[in-house]
Amino acid sequence: MPDQSPVTDEIFPQHTNKTYALVELMHGESPLVGKGPDDTVFSFPVVLLWEIVLLLGVTLVIFLFSLFKQAPLEAIANPLITTDPAKAPWYFIGLQELLEHMHPLLAGILIPTILVLFLVALPYIDHAREGAGVWFSSARGKRIVALTALYTVIVMPAYILFDNAFSLRELLRNSAPQWVAQGLLPALIILVINVIPLLVLWRWKPSTREVMLTLFTILLVSAVVFTLSGFLFRGPGFKMYLPWQMPNGYNPFDGL
Amino acid sequence: MTVQSKSRLSFLTESRVWRSFFRHGWPDNPLDRSLTMTSNVFFHLHPVKVSRKSLRWSYSFGLGVISAILFAVLVITGVILMFYYVPSIERAYPAMKEIQLSVPLGEFTRNMHRWSAHAMVLVVILHMVRVFYTGAYKPPREFNWVVGVSLLLMTLGASFTGYLLPWDQLSYWAITVGTNIAGYAPVAGPAMREMLLGGADVGQNALIRFYTLHIAVVPLIMIVAISIHLWRVRKDGGLAANDVAASNRAANPKAK
Ligand code: HEM
Repeated sequence: MPDQSPVTDEIFPQHTNKTYALVELMHGESPLVGKGPDDTVFSFPVVLLWEIVLLLGVTLVIFLFSLFKQAPLEAIANPLITTDPAKAPWYFIGLQELLEHMHPLLAGILIPTILVLFLVALPYIDHAREGAGVWFSSARGKRIVALTALYTVIVMPAYILFDNAFSLRELLRNSAPQWVAQGLLPALIILVINVIPLLVLWRWKPSTREVMLTLFTILLVSAVVFTLSGFLFRGPGFKMYLPWQMPNGYNPFDGL
Repeated sequence: MTVQSKSRLSFLTESRVWRSFFRHGWPDNPLDRSLTMTSNVFFHLHPVKVSRKSLRWSYSFGLGVISAILFAVLVITGVILMFYYVPSIERAYPAMKEIQLSVPLGEFTRNMHRWSAHAMVLVVILHMVRVFYTGAYKPPREFNWVVGVSLLLMTLGASFTGYLLPWDQLSYWAITVGTNIAGYAPVAGPAMREMLLGGADVGQNALIRFYTLHIAVVPLIMIVAISIHLWRVRKDGGLAANDVAASNRAANPKAK
């Protein structure tokens, strides 16, 4: 009696009581027994060639850069003469910028600790498998990221400029204790800046992934803003200047 | 391939010496291509087959591979610099001058080391950003994401400890500013700072500690962590782009 089931069901049975079957004897390339057709290639040599191309490309770029741009070497270290400005390396300068706006405990310890904990906890909070392997997971995810990035790129520089012009530390010097002016208030401001987009998002009934897209985008764009501010816009005395109007011939790029 | 060159090739690949090295034939067929990957300790970090999707440049931008390449460049140029550098506050700076002025290709090697270090911090951050936005931290890759976070922290640590070594004004004050931040932590802060510096200020103890961390401790841990990281990429089923291909297939088995 001819078998009535469709061919794909026969080759890849979904429900079966049989524990074994001889499907076909064939000469084939794939060792993927029991799996459907797949769109794979042998790593050898494709992946290796790909890696060799990257290796040559990266080395070439570094070679050329190193030929034309010298690494800085200033005068020998002297604990008695402070450089002005004294800046942390660029990847920590975002923190140094943050220190200008709030208590060191908050800027130097609490916020970095929260950020690292957020990164570590992230995959355990957002553990649904949907949306993996696709940029921004969905078209909606992409829009959320774009809008959040736009929001942060406006709000964070505004906060930096505003706090620089009307420093809470100075305004509240005589009316509030330091832990309020430098700790509680800035912490609240940062919290509110983070919560506003989440509240807006809430009306769209977001998935956990979309909440994470929002939070991570705020974090990423803020980190870039604070780093650029500290690196490019801070001159002698760690005061704000336009990069092309630095006094004393100070050039931020000399400190790389 | 002509019959003659084929037989010359098999004379080579079937010889006692070749077989003692590689244990498989010339990789022009599925079996030998698989064996190339599985029987070689370096290639073994790769899967035997990869999906075309995960090879797409616009999915990964090759950033993880570029991080690994930069790490290798840093190890090689770093070892060359170690032949000349002395971690003593009297001799470090003169050693730097000597590298710049009289060691053949010394300045070029130093340039490569420094620019690769900056590039690596940047590329590792970008790699994390791409992994986040492609949702590749989701199960089963949670653990590899956490390994990645530790790699990011170690990359920062390696860069920061290296920053002090030239012992010029730039490095001295950047490390002073950077380690002061650690000192703000409540209770343990000052003790932590003192443990890192081996004293109250940046001095000889700090230099030798940073040197040891920079040339031995951090890179050794990183080599282990990178190996785990790459091996886990394979064990977790290749890049997350594969999962999309796989779930599409499950939904629609006839599609190619
Ligand atoms: C020294 C630093 C690092 C090296 C050398 C490295 C290397 C790699 C390589 C070669 C891949 C394969 C895919 C690709 O090239 O993109 C990869 C994938 C991956 N990396 Fe990293 N990585 C590093 C840091 C990180 C960091 C900081 C994170 C996250 C916090 C991370 C998380 C991941 C994850 C989850 C995958 C799987 C991606 C996917 O399935 O699409 N890695 N890594």
